[in-house]
Amino acid sequence: MRSSAARSRNRFILLMLAPATVLLAGLTLIPFVVSVGFSLTNYSLTAPNDIAFIGLGNYLALFSSSEFWNAAWITVLFTVVAVGLQLVLGVGIAALLHHETRAVSALRLIYLLPMAITPVAAVFTFRMMFNPTLGVFNYILKTMGLPAQDWLGSPTMALVSLILVDSWQWTPFILLIAAGGLAALDEEPLEAARMDGAGPMAIFFQHTLPMLFPYLAVAIVFRSIDAFKTFDIIFVLTNGGPGVATRTLNLLAYKQGIEFLSMGYAAAIAIVMLIVTIVASQLFLRRVDLFKPKAAL
Amino acid sequence: MAEMTMTSSPDRVNLRPLSPATRLARALAPWARRLILWAFAIWCLFPIYWLATMSLKRQVDAMARTPRFWFQPIWDNYLAVIKAGDIWNYFGSSLIVALATTAVALALGIPTAYVLARYRFRGNSDFGFWILSTRMTPPVAMLIPFFVLYVRTGLMDTYPGLVIAHVAINLSIVVWLMKGFFEDLPSELEEAAFMDGATYFQAFRQICLPVALPGIAAVAILSFLFSWNEFLFSLVLTNEIRTVPVGLYSFVGYQQVRWGELSASAVLMLVPVLAFVFIFQKQLVRGLTMGATK
Repeated sequence: MRSSAARSRNRFILLMLAPATVLLAGLTLIPFVVSVGFSLTNYSLTAPNDIAFIGLGNYLALFSSSEFWNAAWITVLFTVVAVGLQLVLGVGIAALLHHETRAVSALRLIYLLPMAITPVAAVFTFRMMFNPTLGVFNYILKTMGLPAQDWLGSPTMALVSLILVDSWQWTPFILLIAAGGLAALDEEPLEAARMDGAGPMAIFFQHTLPMLFPYLAVAIVFRSIDAFKTFDIIFVLTNGGPGVATRTLNLLAYKQGIEFLSMGYAAAIAIVMLIVTIVASQLFLRRVDLFKPKAAL
Repeated sequence: MAEMTMTSSPDRVNLRPLSPATRLARALAPWARRLILWAFAIWCLFPIYWLATMSLKRQVDAMARTPRFWFQPIWDNYLAVIKAGDIWNYFGSSLIVALATTAVALALGIPTAYVLARYRFRGNSDFGFWILSTRMTPPVAMLIPFFVLYVRTGLMDTYPGLVIAHVAINLSIVVWLMKGFFEDLPSELEEAAFMDGATYFQAFRQICLPVALPGIAAVAILSFLFSWNEFLFSLVLTNEIRTVPVGLYSFVGYQQVRWGELSASAVLMLVPVLAFVFIFQKQLVRGLTMGATK
């Protein structure tokens, strides 16, 4: 038998959850269902009334097309290299920042800027700096006696440039999370290791890094998911080019859906991306103890 | 206290004599560290600095084959942009969309965040995971149905249409971050309120909400910033209503070579963002790292 106190508690919880739940469900679950539906049809906005159910036809077409596998490969390459680079740089600099005593707040403020400012504005600036004849990057390379690069024009360099810009913007993300983790770390085991005569490198890799792992896991998951669906940087800087050298899954779906208006095909790409994201995030985030409510009322 | 500092200082603990090389390395280490930290800071600042200098250059300086670090600064680019007037429309649109988005997302998100943080119930953590997972959804998966729906219903190119889309993107972040702020409050807050005979809602509304105000302010700023910076949905779901990033993107398309005016527009668009960063630095760190740092 449930007491009236329990009932009023449940009613309160329900009422508080309802508005956001209804809206989020409406704005994310319904589009998801609609997307799945679209992906099973030949729906195109160029002939919106001529819609037919084609089963897994879009998925079969997708999996047998080289443009899909090319885009998938580029997406994975971009995500892994960019996040890997950001992780090494971010953790390294966080470790240095942790021991720094002078002007720390100024440094933190500067590190915050890349990820706060409007991406389109930042990417536009990089476009000027990447310009092969007038850009400042090639000027700097030349004064250092290095060969000029065709930053956005050659297939390999275009991907490198995108990773560079993404890392400019997002290394601070991992840096700040790692710095927060370091500040919260229990110093005692580190002190003990130091007393035992361990060198700073050994302490960092054998003690600090493992203790930092829960923080880094969160950073890696968030960053990987975001890198996987990067749009602004690629769209404004290369628009998938040259050719299809930087066309990620996201760009491919955009092109098919918004430019060619093949909603069914584009929806199939989006669903594949969604499934990959959900599986990956379930695998990693479930292990990190993020979801337990701390207070118990 | 004195003992503490004694033991935590490595030089005093380590009684073995140091070789000259080790001593030199120890003396230089702080400077090497500082050098790396400031080099990274310059890398972070450089594009912003470069954008600012471009906005102050005459066309001949901006398009010089050898980039000019020293030049006669001019305000003409800013005057031209302000006189052309498009930028005020972009500012207006972005302001309307970002403010409306923030208001709606906070009004809906705060109650949910509160219950998720403070009450244990079946499915709590699954619910939390679901909320967060909506943030992980690739935008195109949402964009395509939105696009079709908007084309068919006339929501295309309207303020409510864009605000709905931005709320859909931001709500999960608002819930997630507010949950973190509510979790930081001591649970005695409500317990004391219940002792005094407060209802559940009164405990939330009259006790917890006022205490959580700094957190609410931080999340509001962040929600505003995310909406202000958002590009993809604004690009696809509007034509005439151009928000700041879309406006800048259209400039890039039409005026490929007028770097000076383009840069001036970009700088003007960054002004509110930079102001937020300088004023609310601490809150932004927590928000931008998704609550992973406290």
